[in-house]
Amino acid sequence: MTTQNDDPLIDLYRDSFPDFARMIRRMGGTLEQAKDSFHDALLIYLEKEKAGTLHLHASPKGYLLGTARICWLRSQKSDLPLPEGFEPADVQDPETEEIERTLLASLQKSGRKCLELLKAFYYDHSSMQDIAERFGFNGRRSATVQKYKCLEKVREEIKTSLCAVN
Amino acid sequence: MRSELTELELIDNYLFRQLDQQQTQKVETTLLVDEGFAENVETQRTAHRLIRQYGRNANRQRLENIYHLLLNEPAFAGQLKSLI
Repeated sequence: MTTQNDDPLIDLYRDSFPDFARMIRRMGGTLEQAKDSFHDALLIYLEKEKAGTLHLHASPKGYLLGTARICWLRSQKSDLPLPEGFEPADVQDPETEEIERTLLASLQKSGRKCLELLKAFYYDHSSMQDIAERFGFNGRRSATVQKYKCLEKVREEIKTSLCAVN
Repeated sequence: MRSELTELELIDNYLFRQLDQQQTQKVETTLLVDEGFAENVETQRTAHRLIRQYGRNANRQRLENIYHLLLNEPAFAGQLKSLI
């Protein structure tokens, strides 16, 4: 198990955030804004790392500070592009966004185990073997079938919810 | 795997661009003529977006927890205090 002392993410945070917060203060931003942009950048860092698409040309700290700076500039001027390779999860239409927020809350209530399994595969990019072990399935095949059953369940709930809205 | 699950797998492979050109064309033709299939593809795309949002929410919570954890460290908190 990872503890506070050996989690590299905590070390990276500790080492990078004060420098970034100082940079944002110098540019006229607040500590809260700095934290929000820093978290956006860390999210990008974590997602790319899990997907195997993080190609560092600088230290992790250098990459993070550069990405966080883009995130902060974008928060000040929303027509700037997203950092390279980042796929937005949020939809642009506020009405659809609200419907999907409600939908996700409902899915979390009705089937958190399924969501956890789907997150492990689609978001964390865990292997089916790891998923089988973590969720107690007999093997990769059984985990794969369960993954699709969960996806089918989520898909059906989405259809039902969207029918109720329309 | 039963046929519904096979279809889910096919749609996943289509959405993640893991099909070859011939298979992709076949899916895209079906999309034009089969309304039910087209609805399933769109719903599956929404499902992927919701799963990504669920993962991001979990990561954001993890980062908030780290921030609050580090605020308990005098050296870290001291550096931020000077910026308020």
